[in-house]
Amino acid sequence: MSGYRFDRLKILAVDDNVHMRKLVVTILQAFGVSQIHEAENGERAWAVLREANPDVVVLDWMMPGMSGVDLIRMVRTNPQAPNPFVPVIMLTGHTSMDHVRLARDAGVNEFIAKPVAVKTMMSRLVSVIEHPRPFVRTSAYFGPCRRRRGVEEYRGPERRAEAKHPQAAE
Amino acid sequence: MKRQQPIELFMPPNMLKAKVGGGLGGLDMAAMKRAEAAIDGLKSEFAGWIADDVHALVAARAQYAKAPDAGSRAALLRAAHDIKGQAATFNFPLIARVAASLSRLIGELPPAAALPAGLLDAHAGAIQVIHRQGLQTSDDKTALALCAELDARVDEMLAPRK
Repeated sequence: MSGYRFDRLKILAVDDNVHMRKLVVTILQAFGVSQIHEAENGERAWAVLREANPDVVVLDWMMPGMSGVDLIRMVRTNPQAPNPFVPVIMLTGHTSMDHVRLARDAGVNEFIAKPVAVKTMMSRLVSVIEHPRPFVRTSAYFGPCRRRRGVEEYRGPERRAEAKHPQAAE
Repeated sequence: MKRQQPIELFMPPNMLKAKVGGGLGGLDMAAMKRAEAAIDGLKSEFAGWIADDVHALVAARAQYAKAPDAGSRAALLRAAHDIKGQAATFNFPLIARVAASLSRLIGELPPAAALPAGLLDAHAGAIQVIHRQGLQTSDDKTALALCAELDARVDEMLAPRK
């Protein structure tokens, strides 16, 4: 038994596919989460985010209009975002390194590769609770630190400023 | 000498941990069991869900045939991507495999390149056949041969661009 009070969590589940949304909501409810908000696209999710200020966002990548990655960028950098530090778990069928890098560079905290599995969902939820990453602010990026280890020791200058992809600087 | 830009690194307060507590840091096995049971309870709906997804894919394919523009192409990719991500959950692993091949074809061909109609139809047709025949395992030899052929055709199509 882990002793987590998941019933105290407020989670926003964003997916344009109604079946996937229902699956995610079912899993979260079974975990004990009682406050679950849903959104079927990025625009609606942004509105719900501002109204409800969730503790965690579970987000699909590929949606019509504003994509999941677009939404994360807004969450992290828009002055109207209620909580730029909110943990974002991206649920996606994209598993190539290029896609992972792109989402990471937008500010995602954790990934779940579809098809969704109960254990993975629990594991990512526990990860954002127990192992939050430090945040980084540079001229080109604001979001969770994209290095998994050793970051606490680094206090030097921005070393990736001349990198090919400016948003990769940290 | 290059100008060095500052980097700010900080740890926000862990409000989440403060809210949910929990001292052991492990997975909540009881909650996971409840979730598995809840998904089992949804299984009776999976047949309808996969049928909806297949129908959405066929409709998106028809729309792309009628008006092959960026919007219909994106809609077709989303439909394929949805199936790729969830058909295995709905007990149709081979449909997920074909949809993965279709997603790769649409996603990796540059936006300026026209999508090959025959190969799109072959994927959509394969998904419909597997669904219609109710092949819910991943060991049907004929279906596996079809999947392998589709993968190979997509590889051929994408190879000159690698």
